[in-house]
Amino acid sequence: MEKISRYLLVFIAILTLAIILPKLYWMAFEKPVRKPFILYSCINDDFMIHRISEKTWEDTKGNQFTREKYEKKLPLMFEKQLITSGSMPDSIKGIALDMRTISKEKSFFRLKANEIDAPAPGLYPLFESQSGRAKIELPEDFFRITWRIDFIDAATNKVLEEKSQLFSAALFQKGFSFPAKKISGISTPRKSVDEGYFIVDSKDRLFHLKMIKGNPYVKQIDIPEGLKFSHISCVDFKNKDFYAYLFSDKNEIYILTQDDYQLIKWPVEGFDASNRDLKIFGDLFNYTVIIEAEDHTKAIALNSDYQVVKTYTETWKLKEEQPEGKIFTSLFPAQVSMTSDNSKFIRFYFSLSEGFKWIFLNLLLMAFHFIWLYRRKVKLKNHLADMGIVAVSGIFGFIAVHFFPNKFFD
Amino acid sequence: MNNVIECNNLTHYYGKKRVYENLNFHVSEGSILGLLGKNGTGKTTTINILNGFLQPRSGECLIFGENTQHLSPRTKARIGFLIEGHIQYSFMNIRQIEKFYSGFYPNWKPAPFWELMSKLNVTPTQKISTMSCGQRSQVALGLILAQDPDLLILDDFSMGLDPGYRRLFIDYLREYAKAENKTIFTTSHIIQDMERLIDDLLIIDFDGVLAQTSVNEFMGSFKRFDFVLENDKTDLKKASFVVNLDKVKNKVELYTYSSESIVKKYLDDNNITVSNFAQVKMGLEDAFIGLTGKY
Amino acid sequence: MWKSVVYKEWLKIRWFLIGYTLLGILGIGYLFLTVKHGFAFSGGKNVWNSILFMGYQFFSPLKYVPLVGGLTIAIAQYFPETVNKRIKLTFHLPLGENKALLMMHAFGAISLLLSFLVFFGMFAGFSLLYFPVQMVTDSIISIFPWFLAGFAAYFLVALIVLEPEWKFRFYYFVVGGFFLTIYLNSPVTGAYSPANSGLFVLTAFLSIALLFSAYRFRKGEM
Repeated sequence: MEKISRYLLVFIAILTLAIILPKLYWMAFEKPVRKPFILYSCINDDFMIHRISEKTWEDTKGNQFTREKYEKKLPLMFEKQLITSGSMPDSIKGIALDMRTISKEKSFFRLKANEIDAPAPGLYPLFESQSGRAKIELPEDFFRITWRIDFIDAATNKVLEEKSQLFSAALFQKGFSFPAKKISGISTPRKSVDEGYFIVDSKDRLFHLKMIKGNPYVKQIDIPEGLKFSHISCVDFKNKDFYAYLFSDKNEIYILTQDDYQLIKWPVEGFDASNRDLKIFGDLFNYTVIIEAEDHTKAIALNSDYQVVKTYTETWKLKEEQPEGKIFTSLFPAQVSMTSDNSKFIRFYFSLSEGFKWIFLNLLLMAFHFIWLYRRKVKLKNHLADMGIVAVSGIFGFIAVHFFPNKFFD
Repeated sequence: MNNVIECNNLTHYYGKKRVYENLNFHVSEGSILGLLGKNGTGKTTTINILNGFLQPRSGECLIFGENTQHLSPRTKARIGFLIEGHIQYSFMNIRQIEKFYSGFYPNWKPAPFWELMSKLNVTPTQKISTMSCGQRSQVALGLILAQDPDLLILDDFSMGLDPGYRRLFIDYLREYAKAENKTIFTTSHIIQDMERLIDDLLIIDFDGVLAQTSVNEFMGSFKRFDFVLENDKTDLKKASFVVNLDKVKNKVELYTYSSESIVKKYLDDNNITVSNFAQVKMGLEDAFIGLTGKY
Repeated sequence: MWKSVVYKEWLKIRWFLIGYTLLGILGIGYLFLTVKHGFAFSGGKNVWNSILFMGYQFFSPLKYVPLVGGLTIAIAQYFPETVNKRIKLTFHLPLGENKALLMMHAFGAISLLLSFLVFFGMFAGFSLLYFPVQMVTDSIISIFPWFLAGFAAYFLVALIVLEPEWKFRFYYFVVGGFFLTIYLNSPVTGAYSPANSGLFVLTAFLSIALLFSAYRFRKGEM
């Protein structure tokens, strides 16, 4: 029994050290990766790259610009600055510019991997889409979708039976299969209009749910066979071109147009919802899709017909490939972390160190441990398990078996 | 007679410091044995090994035939143990502590406990931590008596007790042990106390066991002779019968197991002239110091 | 026999346990008083909205409550055993040393559990008055590791207090202290759901940790 308690303690110590030591190491030695800030210039038809820490502005061919020249190449991004300095062009590509149009077509969208892999709230406010009021108001009740849709009054915490039945029936009649797999909408009243929720039912079909003058509006949206959405981000852009960016389980990016519910797939490759961050800049002429990975950034410029006009990729060394990372991978066989940049969930994120350089230290520590035991004239037979622990878990196991020593266990 | 305690070839070190090597001794049933030794000779080490709180480097101790490293509950029930300083659960009062221990021992006899307690000027709800050292010793003793063990191991029972309580403790214990044929293994650094209590003694020194015998036999055979040498350069240490010698200038205290005639014969044979030759009567403490030396 | 063990442990921890439980009850009462106040002044929908979408964790004052409980009970129970190495008395009792320790430990852990169950019950009961099941479940997912941390702290303090050597006490303290942090990340509500079962198992692993240091004590390490 004492023996078991010791091995359990050694295990706990190894786990703890595998969490703490790498964390402390990176806190001490990690150097920040300065990711380039990339935008697409409709003037140059090229990407413009701003390196924030170096304070340089350049294009993909390496031409350097001053900040002012850089901003002039991006009039739809820095329109306020250009107007202030009086250098805003009147037209671009033969299209006359007016501020209202620029502002209407300008959009920014950002999605981090950790927003996709995150706990869902489970309850959502269903706003009145046509309240006739200037401001959207937070409703008194919130809905959940289980075997039906329930509306629960927040003040009393009671299910509103009548409303629940009304909406459940509407969903049911439109063929909705309970429960819901995904519920996406803009759940804050701070939006220009309410477009309700896009809901994936248990059979992976997509529905649009709104409340119009207290009544349910339910629409099943045609989507291709076999398409499964892993995430839907509703947007509230001024041009009202589309309801949402939708992401399939195959990492395709779709948009869903307003009113006619056309699902359009963007020809964008290289996205991975599990570990990439996404930025999409929209303006009068282009959409610029920026996919940020740990070791590279990919920029894709689309025209207003969503055709790829240019792509650009910039890579850099992973922190594991830099000197301090190489030392890391020779010191630590693995790292465990409770948190991840790619998720809001707490898990035991285990990552084995790249390569097998740590084996040398493991063997060295094992030899060291052996000599230590030998000098104490202990029966080596009783310490084979410890030797194995050190061989496998290296520095973590070495510390663990010395903190919780194998003494008296013969 | 059966041996209640049997220690064979005990060897222990603290780090590199040797406590003892190949220590052997035994305690037979019904005897009251005192373990005597100077500080650092391993009294507490021995007690700890006997109680299973210390694993000796080698060798073993058996109590009622069981290795003390793995005493069975049944055997532990037969051993009463008084920790140095009469340590008990001082957050309890005497009523609580009696209730607590009674649950463990099927042969629990509350009478001797309450009899002892009635002699103390304490209330049943008074916490042990508020009692005097002497009162606490009586509580600890009372609990051991109520446990009614066959073997009592007492670690430095006289520590912190004033003479009255020491006397009370010893007399009560001895009477009880003799009446019920109990075996006692005890240490104390106050040897006068031991004299009233023990039948047998075990004297250990840095080199191992110096004596294991009955007190009467020891006191009968271990002698001290005082005399004055004519020539203070004379070296007596070579004499085989000398156990210990304390010489200040030409005044000699000689300790030996041999008789007066043998000592005198040696002096005559070696032409050593002495004056004022006399045997000095010793108490146990004098004998202990005579045997082990002052340092 | 077990009655006597329970009796002794109860004598040691009773006032601490009762005091801690009462304070905890008051604390949870206060917590829901603030919720009630929030409902009255901000309106239920705004309270719900801030919990669901704005990251408000109404239960966050509870974070260290179980940890404090685990530490309190462990210290109340094991500290008196190490003063003058009193644990020797326990080892000398006529039952197996590990059995004696595990009985003591089980009593302490169950006492802690009962106290936690009172808190948990109060928390769930009050929460269900104000919030639907989904929100209560997510809250419970979030506070569950805190309660595990309470048990882990209890087990670790026993390990540390019974260890005879100061050097090793320090080692255990370092490892234990860092280990406890894995229960106490501050993520979004419900984030611990994939980790809770693993944390439960790790906490269970620690439940017999004290046997290790007690064994070292019995073998005469000092």
